Amino acid sequence: MKTGLTISASAHAAVLLWALVSFAPKALNAPPTESMPVDLISSTEFSQLRAGARNAPKAETPKPLVEKIAEKKTPADPAAKVVDKPELVTASAQTPPPPEKVPERKPAENKEPKAEPKVEQKPDAIADVLKKEPKPEPKKEAKPQPKKPDPKPQPKFDANRIAALLDKRDPQRVAAAGDTLNHTLAFGTATGDSPKLAQSELDALRARLRECWNPPAGATNAEKLKVPILIRFKQDGTLASPPQPESAAADSFMQAMIDSAVRATIRCQPYTMLSPAKYDLWKEIVVDFSLEGMFGG
Amino acid sequence: MNPAEVAQSALPLTSSDLSIFGLFWSAHIIVKAVMLGLLIASIWVWAIAIDKTVLYARTRHAMDRFEKTFWSGQSLEELYRTLSARPSHSMAALFVAAMREWKRSFETQARSFAGLQMRIEKVMEVTIAREVERLERRLLVLATVGSAGPFIGLFGTVWGIMTSFQSIAASKNTSLAVVAPGIAEALFATAIGLVAAIPATIFYNKFASEVNKQAQRLEGFADEFSAILSRQIDERA
Repeated sequence: MKTGLTISASAHAAVLLWALVSFAPKALNAPPTESMPVDLISSTEFSQLRAGARNAPKAETPKPLVEKIAEKKTPADPAAKVVDKPELVTASAQTPPPPEKVPERKPAENKEPKAEPKVEQKPDAIADVLKKEPKPEPKKEAKPQPKKPDPKPQPKFDANRIAALLDKRDPQRVAAAGDTLNHTLAFGTATGDSPKLAQSELDALRARLRECWNPPAGATNAEKLKVPILIRFKQDGTLASPPQPESAAADSFMQAMIDSAVRATIRCQPYTMLSPAKYDLWKEIVVDFSLEGMFGG
Repeated sequence: MNPAEVAQSALPLTSSDLSIFGLFWSAHIIVKAVMLGLLIASIWVWAIAIDKTVLYARTRHAMDRFEKTFWSGQSLEELYRTLSARPSHSMAALFVAAMREWKRSFETQARSFAGLQMRIEKVMEVTIAREVERLERRLLVLATVGSAGPFIGLFGTVWGIMTSFQSIAASKNTSLAVVAPGIAEALFATAIGLVAAIPATIFYNKFASEVNKQAQRLEGFADEFSAILSRQIDERA
């Protein structure tokens, strides 16, 4: 028994030593994981998110659309009045030259080549018949003639304003300036929100319909009755198609109510209270016609 | 224990190394006791295993040798004389016990043949029982460690996990660095429990079947020898 115990104890000691050597020295350092910020949004907010296309190239940061980097200008005279656009002096936007300096070649250029084509008319029997109608041929011949040169005044050569003469841009064009160059449009809208039909617009529509609606009278539980009508609009506020009842008529009174609602919808157009910018939202609307909702409530 | 103390005690826990001794020293005192106990149990199990392996091999060898000499045609008297001089085990002990009873019955003046057969069988039964008891001594330790070791380790694990939860509560933080040392310590206890229990179970099964085999061999020899002696008794009576 003693030998067995010794052997066992020494074997255990050896295994422990081996474990010490093999497992010990490497300290397992677990770097703290980075926390991930999470936003809780409602499903409506999610559906109205204006995320860009999934496969669109990723823009680093949204930047304003800019074509030119603005130079930092220190106003020469801080007290001077601020002018929006710098005066851009170009060749084509110059003040008309004084009349006495008109160059001599100008009339030569302005000289028009004779555009009158000679129309040959053969004495013909058919020609007499055709005489009443205007002949297309002379017009066709006139077209390939050189056009009138532009009425623009030619730039006058001035050695002091060569830079202005070389500038061929339109005088109105002013580059948008900003911090950084950015030629791509940003995703999303300015506010990041989808357009919504305001409750006031819906209320205005409902009020308009209420004005036109003559509900049939005389049913037992007419207050509870609700008639949903699908209305399709055109962009100008008129109806795109005849209004459709969303539910089938259960009895004659309900049929009368549906008919009256459809009549009211047709009579009231155009519905100008709906803004054309949000046309996508009111292209199709289901309006519930009910005595309770429209008159009672 | 107020939270500040727990936090203080949990602080070194988070920065401790995960080596074997680091795990052991950072453990709770109860977990330490569990680990030490399991380590001792493991040492004891292996000691028993080594001891039994040697014992069974030796016993088997001795049986083979004895059976060879027994069936070689050597006179039983001679065999008895050589074997009774030194203390012997298993089959030889069985033979010596039976022969001693035989001789006692013949050497006394009153030859008592009546019941000699029964006496010899009784003596051999007792010897077999003693031999089997010697063979299977301490095997119960193996069985106990094999069945209880995992539970003891599990106890240490539960305690260690409680510690790690305490450190979570103290530091108000569930990061891996806070939780990991407690869990590692806890799992270490389970690992030691399994390390002790698995060999114990395997050895117990192996040794139990070995004891069974040797006991059957002894019983077979006892039956054969009692048949020989019975024939002798009938011839002399």
